[in-house]
Amino acid sequence: MTGRAVFGDFIVAARRHLGSPGSFREAVGQGGSVPEISHSLLRIVLVMGRYVQDVDIGPAPVPGQGGPALTGWDRAGAEAREALTSAAVSLYGDPVGGRRPGATAGSEIVRRLNAASASLTYGRDLLHTHLARGPRGGRQLRSEWGEVITAPPLTWALLAEMGSLAHQLAPLGPGLAHTPGAHGSPEARRRLNAACQCLQNAAASIRIAQRHEPVSAADRDLLHAVPINAVPLRRLPDGSEPVTTLCEGVTATAERARHAAWASSMQPAWSPDMTVDSLRQVAAASTVTSHHCEILLRSLATRAGGAPDGFHARLLQAADAAGRTRTRWLHIVHALDQVTTDTQGLSQTATAASDLALWSGRLAYCDPQWTLASKPSHQARPPHSLAPEPDDIPRVTAAIYHACDTMASLAQANRKQIRAAARAERFLVPTESQPGAFDILLPFTPASPDHIDAMLTLYQFTSKASAEAADTIPAPGHAIIRSAANARRHDASGKMPNGASAKPGLVPEPWHAPGPIQRTLRGLGVTNPELLQRGADIDRAGEQLIIDATTERIPQPERLSAASRGRTTGTTLDDPARVSGNPRTAALLHRKATAQREAPEAEP
Amino acid sequence: MTRLTGTRNRLQQASGLEAVLDAAYEAFRDMLGAIRAHENPAVGMFAAFVMAAAAAASGRDAVAFAPSLPSHQGRNPPAGGEDQPKESAERTASDAADLSELLAARLAQAAGSASHPGDRAACDQAARWAREIHDLLAGSGS
Repeated sequence: MTGRAVFGDFIVAARRHLGSPGSFREAVGQGGSVPEISHSLLRIVLVMGRYVQDVDIGPAPVPGQGGPALTGWDRAGAEAREALTSAAVSLYGDPVGGRRPGATAGSEIVRRLNAASASLTYGRDLLHTHLARGPRGGRQLRSEWGEVITAPPLTWALLAEMGSLAHQLAPLGPGLAHTPGAHGSPEARRRLNAACQCLQNAAASIRIAQRHEPVSAADRDLLHAVPINAVPLRRLPDGSEPVTTLCEGVTATAERARHAAWASSMQPAWSPDMTVDSLRQVAAASTVTSHHCEILLRSLATRAGGAPDGFHARLLQAADAAGRTRTRWLHIVHALDQVTTDTQGLSQTATAASDLALWSGRLAYCDPQWTLASKPSHQARPPHSLAPEPDDIPRVTAAIYHACDTMASLAQANRKQIRAAARAERFLVPTESQPGAFDILLPFTPASPDHIDAMLTLYQFTSKASAEAADTIPAPGHAIIRSAANARRHDASGKMPNGASAKPGLVPEPWHAPGPIQRTLRGLGVTNPELLQRGADIDRAGEQLIIDATTERIPQPERLSAASRGRTTGTTLDDPARVSGNPRTAALLHRKATAQREAPEAEP
Repeated sequence: MTRLTGTRNRLQQASGLEAVLDAAYEAFRDMLGAIRAHENPAVGMFAAFVMAAAAAASGRDAVAFAPSLPSHQGRNPPAGGEDQPKESAERTASDAADLSELLAARLAQAAGSASHPGDRAACDQAARWAREIHDLLAGSGS
């Protein structure tokens, strides 16, 4: 995806080290020291056991003590855990088999087992870069991928991988029993056989779950695509970058911004990083980035003129969608003029969002020194400079895809932050008004629930529009990128941000569900693209109507002054503990008290 | 004389911390209204205007948190967002750049003379936003 190590690299390597069933049998047939083989098998069983323990399964019911019986994948996970523990117990405690680190493997099968266990260990380490243990032992997420990894479809895919490995390893014991070159005590052989029987049991349990609720190829591919959690370093363009490097810059910066957004959305409500300055910067930068995406997509459409399979038309559709995203972000920008927070300053997310606007601008315009401050003379990059060959188009579409996907994440994360800040009464609006004044910003009061709802609605539609723009972009060969994005856009509860329930599989459903008209048409069995497009247009018009109505509900200065006067009593910031405790709050409260002394507020 | 040049004159004439804060508040607020009117993706400087408007709103809020900002009474009404801008985009950018340059200087000066730490912090913060607006609209990057 970005040239970084992915989980698939290690699980595939583990399989490759063990070899095909025929080659594995051949290696077993060469024999070796049974204690040494047992020791190597123990290493691999232990790491497999840790993988299975990582999967969040409820405790197995204790026989005779009642409780609901586990079913499906939960049961498979519990049984596999038990079987792998038994296998480890069988193999454990034979010091004769232990080898010093670095010592050469005594047989081909030992070499293979050791290499496979190392790959599996690295793979688990990679997954754990997204997860951590909290001070009380609970699981904490370290990235937006953490939610994807711990969601049922991917934990099932992980169990399926372990089942497959267990199935591959199980013939080891019986194979050695018939190998003249295998040497070891009867006890060592008995232990090895018992462990292999346990591996067989683990594989069988997982196979049963697979039969009833198969893991989709897309979920398996997504598991393989989980990258190591390493946020790219901040880098700004110096003007010498060719298009290829600019695309990489857009992608890397989008990833940085997405990670920062996720991290900010995980912060507590009192976090001083939640500032209106950051919200404004993110919204303004995203307005600009979506504008650049539209320019780029139109340029690519020109470049792809005459391409088969409606590719040109899809690029134009994507450009329209990017344009709608810009309009949505601009609505947010304007709405944020009317609010403030008790802390100020810019967060890392805001900086990354601005960087993304810069990188995407460098890609969109010919001027290699283009900045957000450039004068209006700048020209868009010519289509042939953007993609000299048709084969270059996917590289650019992938970069635009990442930018749009990130904007969806930014809107989602900011929405979450605003909701949390509003609960802590940190999302403020000006309230006090005196005759003749128009937009007095002091003192402030927590925004009303109606106001908060209106803001959240704007963010919700903006996130949806950004995701829709991303999903409309034709990016051949980037199915996994889309799968990963769709999976990330679901939250940990399996709910989509628009409130709909996620399907059991993470991958197939695009995040932006069709609107009610489109759904009804599909329910009626309508497949005519023209009718479906008309339905989508009507849905979009309805959405716009809601946004317009929502924007109307956000108080403008003049209306706010009059409307909020009656709400001021009882909702003022008279308790510093209710806000962040920031020195600004004290100043604000001081101002409030002074203002009240000077000009008592009129009774409603 | 445009709205922003009038605002600039008031800021220039402001004397004392309270008057500077009051004029600075109005300056950010008026720039916000004037800049918003030019946020049209079809014309150049769209990016600069959108980013500058966000900075103007943040500058306004920074001043609003200054403990010495006087009560709103007597303050001029806001310019507000204009549906049809009276000035060209270039003229508005130029006026806002000039105004923000002066604003940054006056606020930095005010920060140096303010005795209340809240005023100093507010002036410093607002001056940074003013410089940001100037950098965006003066086209230093082109």
